[in-house]
Formats: sequence, structure tokens, C-alpha cells
Amino acid sequence: MVRKIAFNLFAWSIVLVVAFPLFWMLVTSVKPQFELFRRPPTVLPETWTFEHYWKLLSETNFLGYFWNSVILSTTTTIVVVAIATLGSYSLVRFRYRGRESLAFLVLFTYLLPSVVLILPLYLMLVQLGLSNTITSLVIAYTTFALPYALWLLRSFMAGIPEDLESAALVDGASRLGAFWDVILPQLLPGIISTALFTFILSWNEYLYALVLVNSDEARPLTTGVMNMLISSFNIEWSLLMAASVMMSVPLIVVFAFLQSYLTRGFGAGGVKG
Amino acid sequence: MPKQVGPPDGQPDPERHIMAMQKQTLLERRYSMLGLLLIAPTVLVFCAVIVYPLISAIYLSLFKIFTPTLEGTWVGLDNYRELLTKGEFWTSLRTNLIWTVGTLSLQIIFGVGMALVLHQNIWFRSLARSLILFPYFISTVVAVLVWKWLFNDLYGILNHFMMSAGLIEFPIDYLGTMPNAMISVILVGAWKYFPFVVIAVLARLQSIPDQLYEAARIDGAGPIARFFDVTLPQLREVLVVIILLRAIWDFKEFDLIFLLTGGGPVTSTQTLPLVVYKEAFSLNQMGMAAAYAVIMMLIMLVFMLLYMRRTRTEGS
Repeated sequence: MVRKIAFNLFAWSIVLVVAFPLFWMLVTSVKPQFELFRRPPTVLPETWTFEHYWKLLSETNFLGYFWNSVILSTTTTIVVVAIATLGSYSLVRFRYRGRESLAFLVLFTYLLPSVVLILPLYLMLVQLGLSNTITSLVIAYTTFALPYALWLLRSFMAGIPEDLESAALVDGASRLGAFWDVILPQLLPGIISTALFTFILSWNEYLYALVLVNSDEARPLTTGVMNMLISSFNIEWSLLMAASVMMSVPLIVVFAFLQSYLTRGFGAGGVKG
Repeated sequence: MPKQVGPPDGQPDPERHIMAMQKQTLLERRYSMLGLLLIAPTVLVFCAVIVYPLISAIYLSLFKIFTPTLEGTWVGLDNYRELLTKGEFWTSLRTNLIWTVGTLSLQIIFGVGMALVLHQNIWFRSLARSLILFPYFISTVVAVLVWKWLFNDLYGILNHFMMSAGLIEFPIDYLGTMPNAMISVILVGAWKYFPFVVIAVLARLQSIPDQLYEAARIDGAGPIARFFDVTLPQLREVLVVIILLRAIWDFKEFDLIFLLTGGGPVTSTQTLPLVVYKEAFSLNQMGMAAAYAVIMMLIMLVFMLLYMRRTRTEGS
């Protein structure tokens, strides 16, 4: 019994150390500015305040960036998941020439560093006159999101028993009818988990946003918040921590309600291959 | 073929058999047409945003291009020659390897350790798992902002902890001096990415049959012996895959290092992806940047091919 308690305390102290930076982010965001400079620092705020959140929403362009990020990530997710669902169905359940090499290419691009693609993409999007638009970012994000989604959905698709589809075909369903009535419902958990991962990936992306967008109209949260740090004269840490918390809100929502989908995606993705 | 053999009496006549065969191949052909139709959007997008840029990246590396005007002159392999004789490439490669090996080993050690702990029946296990998982999912921007605040030399909590524990006498500059900057970057990288290892190992741990442990216990193996004789051999496969995958991802990491130190102090934490960015958008040498990117890809190719062979053999 004593050993069990000791082990629990040991385990939880590690967990708390790992989680401490996130706790500190929350605490800092609700402390008044003057309390940050108190020596020794207060672990819990003496006075709670939400002024930083208010300032963030009313005096900075945070909401604009947030909105851009929502549009950008949602569009990317919908486009990518739609293409990848059809693509993975084809890759897993159909036979034609070049199928194997295509699967190989998907895996290859899944591992490809984005700094290789970013230079030609930059040139391409500038020539197309798309620089500084959300569209350009959606196009750029497909370069990493599509291989990722395809790879994830491929393994979800492979997990659906082939007999189910054959049974529907014997019953006289067309191939597409079987896809719609049998495969899609079975694949739904996989689609949700892929969509969540794609969304998070796009929400957190930084490099493409840094290179391709240089105006506040199209700037997403990642580069927008970073700009707030660089452009401010003296750094307001409480404000930045409040921005960090707000930026993580979608993730917290996903964590609270849909965590099982995230762990499922983990198993299906890169690790199991 | 049915025609050569000839049907015995009582079988359906050859005509109908052939018709059925033709129908079969017709259906097969229609299926593969449908398959091609379904993959068409993927192929189109792939060609437009991945294959074409990949080829033009190689093509760009043969030019000298001034980024603001995008005017280029053909220089052949000169970029590569210049790059390989320049010290910057080799020092960046070295920095890149130090970062990768450093952060990867910490991720593996902490990741496996944490997975073993979370595999036990501790209080509020699912809450503990969520808390451990969180750093992996937050944006690198958020992670960097939080750590910059923790690292702050005047008001950062880290210096306060270290000083009140008596470990240091004066506040430390975590990001502005060497080797502190490299250590800090490696640590933050390990903090951000070790949950990946935790989840992957945890999933594998749960699938190890209990009988193996029972048998080891009957043979008189203690907990440490059980770890080395049962757990570790079972984890070997998944660890190889994790190490390859994380090595690839850590090697190409840009955001974390760029945002934490920007490659500094001076160029002490400047890895290859940061050089690519610098050449292209600060020094305005697009061609040279492409050459760096291509070389970097060639180095990574070794690991990528290893990983791909691994998943292929597993799949079949």
C-alpha cells in the first residue's frame, strides 16, 4: 500500500512537471501586469483579472487572425479529407497499374521536408498572383495535409473487412452505392480522426504562413501572434499568454470531447504504418 | 482457358461461359476505370503541388536567383560546389545532427519511461494521459512563447526555481549564450515531442500478452529482469519505427528552433532548414537556398528509404 502511494506520487509529480509550462501559461494570463514582476513570484494570482483577454479581443487584431485561422483550417480539412477519402478507397480496394508506386509516392511526400517545396511553391503562387491570400495557404497546406490524410485513411480503410463490400455487391449494389452505404459508415470514425489531425496540423502550421502571407488580412494566428511579440515595444507577457491560451482553445475542446479519436489516429498513422 | 479444355457434358455451354468471362473482365475493367477516376483528384493535386514543385526545386538549384526580382542566370552545379566547400554547410549539418541526436534520445528515454509509468494503474490515469499528451498538440508558437516566458532572464520562473534551490547563484541566460541555447532548444524539443513516443509505446505495451509476464514471474524474474527480458524485446519493432520517424521529423524541424533562437547566438543553433530560409529570404539567394534544400533532402533520403522499406515489409 505504501509502495502504491509512493509510486502514485512519483508518477503524478512527473506529470505535473511536464504540465507545468501549460499551468504557468494559464496563471500568467490572469495575473495583473504588476504581479508578474513580484519577487518571489506568486504561484496562484493574488488578484484575478481578465483584462488581458479583454485587451486582446478589443485592442489587437487577434480576432481577425483567429477568424483567418478558422477559415483556413476548415477549408483545408474539408478539401483534403474529401480528396483523401476517395483516394484511399481507390488505393486500397481497386487494382490498376501504378497503384503501388502511387502509394509509395504518398509515403515519400508524407516524410518530405517542407523547406524543399516552399521555394518553388512561393514562386508558383507569386506568379499566379495568389500571394497574401488565404487561398495560397490552403494550396500550400495540402502539400503536407493530403499525404498525411491519405496515409491515415489508407490504414483505416484497410481495417474494414472486404466481405462487407462483397456482400453489398452480391445484393446488387453498384460499387459507388456500396461505397456510400457500407464503406462510408464504417470509415466514419477514421474520417473524424483524420479530420481532427488535419485541422490541428493546419491550425498549428507556421513556416508557410510566414513565407506566403505578409498582410494582416490573410495572416493566421501562428504568424499573427508571433508578430504581436516582435512588433511590440515592451513585451507584455500576460497578453501573450492570454493569446496562447485563446489559440489553444480549439485543441482543448477537441481534447475534452474527442480524445478517443485522437488516440485512434495515433495507432493508425505513422506508427503502425 | 475453357475453349481448349472443352466442357464436359452437363456443364453450361461454352458460349455462355465465354460470355460470363467477358462480362467478368468487362466488370473488372469498369472497376479499374472507377478506381482511376477516384484517384484522379489525388493525382492531380499531387502533380500540381508536390511533384512539380519538387522537380522545380532541383531545377532552381542550378540557377543563381535574386529573390526580390526573381531574375536568374544558369550556373549549373556551381551552387553545390560553393555550398560543399563553404564552412557554413558543414557546421550547420553538425548542428543539425547534434540537435537531432540530442532531442531524439531524450524523447525516447522519457517517452518509454513515461509510457511504462502510465501503463500502471495510477490515480486518474486518463487525466494524466491527457496532460502528458497536450504539449504534442499545442502549436509550436504557443510552446515557444510559454518557454520564452519561463526562460526570461529577469522574471522567468525557471531562474527563480534554480536560484531558490541553490543550483545557481545568478540568473542564467538560457537562449543567448552557448552551450545553454543548444541545451534549451533540445530540452524544449524533447518536451514538445516525447508524447508521441509515449502514445506509440503505450499502445504496444497494451498488446503484450500477460502470460509472458506470468511465465517470467514463475521463473523468478524481478521487475528489472522482466523489463529487459519481456518488455524490451516486445518493444523493439515499434521502437525502430518510432526512432526512424522521429529522426526524420526532428531533422527537418524548423518552427521550434527558428522561433526559440532564430539560429542564434550568431549561428550556434542554426540547422539546415534555417539556412534554407535564411538564404532564400534574408540573403535573397533563392538558387543557393534550393541547393541547400536538395542536399538536405538527399541526406534525409537514407532515413526515408529505411522507414519506407520497414512499413512495406510490415504491410505485406
